[in-house]
Amino acid sequence: MFGQQNLSTRRILLAWLLVTPVVLWRLLTSVYPFLRTFYISFFDNSPVRRTFDFVGLDNYMALTRDANVDATLTFTLFFTVTSVALQVVLGLAIAELLNQRFKMRNFTRAVNLLPWAMAPIVIATAARWIFHQDYGLINDIIWRLSGERPLWLVNFTTARFAVTITDVWKNTAFLAVIFLSGLQGIPLELYEAAKIDGADGVRSYWYVTLPLLMPLIISMIIFTAIFRVLTFEIVYALTNGGPGTATSLLSYLVYLEGFRVLNFGYASAIAMLLFFIVLVVGVVGYGFLRRAWERL
Amino acid sequence: MNTQLNFKRGIRTTLFTLMVILFMIVILLPIYYIFLTAFAPSGKLFTVPLTYVPRSLAIERFQDIFGALPIARYMLNSTLLATFSTILALTVSLLAAYAIARLNFPGANLVMVGLLASSMLPGTATVIPLFQMYQTLNLMDTLHGLLILYGSALLPITTWVLVSFLRQVPVEIEDAAKVDGASFFPLLWRIVLPVIRPGIATMFLINFIIGWNEFFTPLIFARGAGVKVITMALSEAQVIGARSEFDVSWGNMSAVAILTTIPVFIITLIFQRQIVEGITSGVFK
Repeated sequence: MFGQQNLSTRRILLAWLLVTPVVLWRLLTSVYPFLRTFYISFFDNSPVRRTFDFVGLDNYMALTRDANVDATLTFTLFFTVTSVALQVVLGLAIAELLNQRFKMRNFTRAVNLLPWAMAPIVIATAARWIFHQDYGLINDIIWRLSGERPLWLVNFTTARFAVTITDVWKNTAFLAVIFLSGLQGIPLELYEAAKIDGADGVRSYWYVTLPLLMPLIISMIIFTAIFRVLTFEIVYALTNGGPGTATSLLSYLVYLEGFRVLNFGYASAIAMLLFFIVLVVGVVGYGFLRRAWERL
Repeated sequence: MNTQLNFKRGIRTTLFTLMVILFMIVILLPIYYIFLTAFAPSGKLFTVPLTYVPRSLAIERFQDIFGALPIARYMLNSTLLATFSTILALTVSLLAAYAIARLNFPGANLVMVGLLASSMLPGTATVIPLFQMYQTLNLMDTLHGLLILYGSALLPITTWVLVSFLRQVPVEIEDAAKVDGASFFPLLWRIVLPVIRPGIATMFLINFIIGWNEFFTPLIFARGAGVKVITMALSEAQVIGARSEFDVSWGNMSAVAILTTIPVFIITLIFQRQIVEGITSGVFK
């Protein structure tokens, strides 16, 4: 009895010893800096002016008056909703495509992964060339079809769509892979049963496939939405947040305030706003997910 | 009746093939366009309409960027950082994953949830204090400083995926080894590691790609030429020989884009199955 207890204490000690490196590493490089960001957000902290003065809620009050923050939130909402919607719909369609039997299916599946494997910064920088007014790939195709050459990165609306299209091109592959794996997990008997009940193609997709995939779709919507809110590279390299502030995102704003203006206190307050939005998306999404599971 | 059915099936097959072709064009054409730009001879870069089948290719862009920038050094740094952050992250994640999946200790769930929650903390919400810490600790512009941050970003997902791989492997073999009196590290090395080698290999590939593609971390923490990485050469290559702010060298940019992309494409095309397994096991299990 005593020996048994001794053994389990030793086991628990060993377990904690084994998880310590990971836990410590994350605490020092993620959790502590995050708490410190929260702390700094109550200070006027600038390495240029050499200040570290407590200012209470001043930084947060400034957020509410900042027109850049306003514009950024507007675009964050547009970008997140549009990009997530497109990615989910196209992701489901591509998953369906890659689930069929055809020659070169393996090659097509590998091609699907290429945008996923490319660096976001490469895609964002190259996209600036691809959306170029006179010599870009996209305008060449549009010009051949319609004779027009839209000024993608100069107009508000088209710049917003350029950012969204680039993001969708890069990230839909990931969702397609997940959804494909979900499709492969649905037992074939269910489709046979649906066939006997008279449901073919579209209807069996609507009544069998979609309901069964729904929890997966919802959790992917949450996941994708959170990463849209955190997007940095596309805006940094493709538009610089412009024209004006039409395509500014919060991560980019934190970068500008923190590392161009060198206003650490205010940048920290923006970072906390970013965290708060991620938290809300996560919590609300989790609520939807639980309801979807209960319905299943 | 039969011919009508065949006709219908024929239309469906044609439509399906068209969709596959359209999908391939949407993915491959932009990549091909960057390839064309990188290899276009000087005079042939700006043409209206575009020439999709070039008459000649040139490598002068590559000569230009290798001449003006320490590209080889950047690629070496990218390789070192991606490789060693992957190895470090896999080692400590494997230890943690083993404890979580096998040792059944109080707090195991807390560690799992904590890791997941910490991975949701945005990088931009931690970067300012890290920047200040790195300045005080003299870690700015050092490869080991970068390694700590690269590795940190990999830990949560790697631990999660390795836990899921371990849980799929039967425990009996390890129990038998334990009865034989094998102590912990030999057990891990000889019994556990061989069984979850596929999981380790998968996460090695995915983590290497993530490390190779990193941009935000080096942008903030690597400012000296000795520690810069290949993703930072994109913007530097654009301004080689530039006469003004608006004089952008798209050819040079494309050449760097090609150099940055070739390694990850080779990995992806060869190990497609393993990568897909890694991506999905992080989500499903």
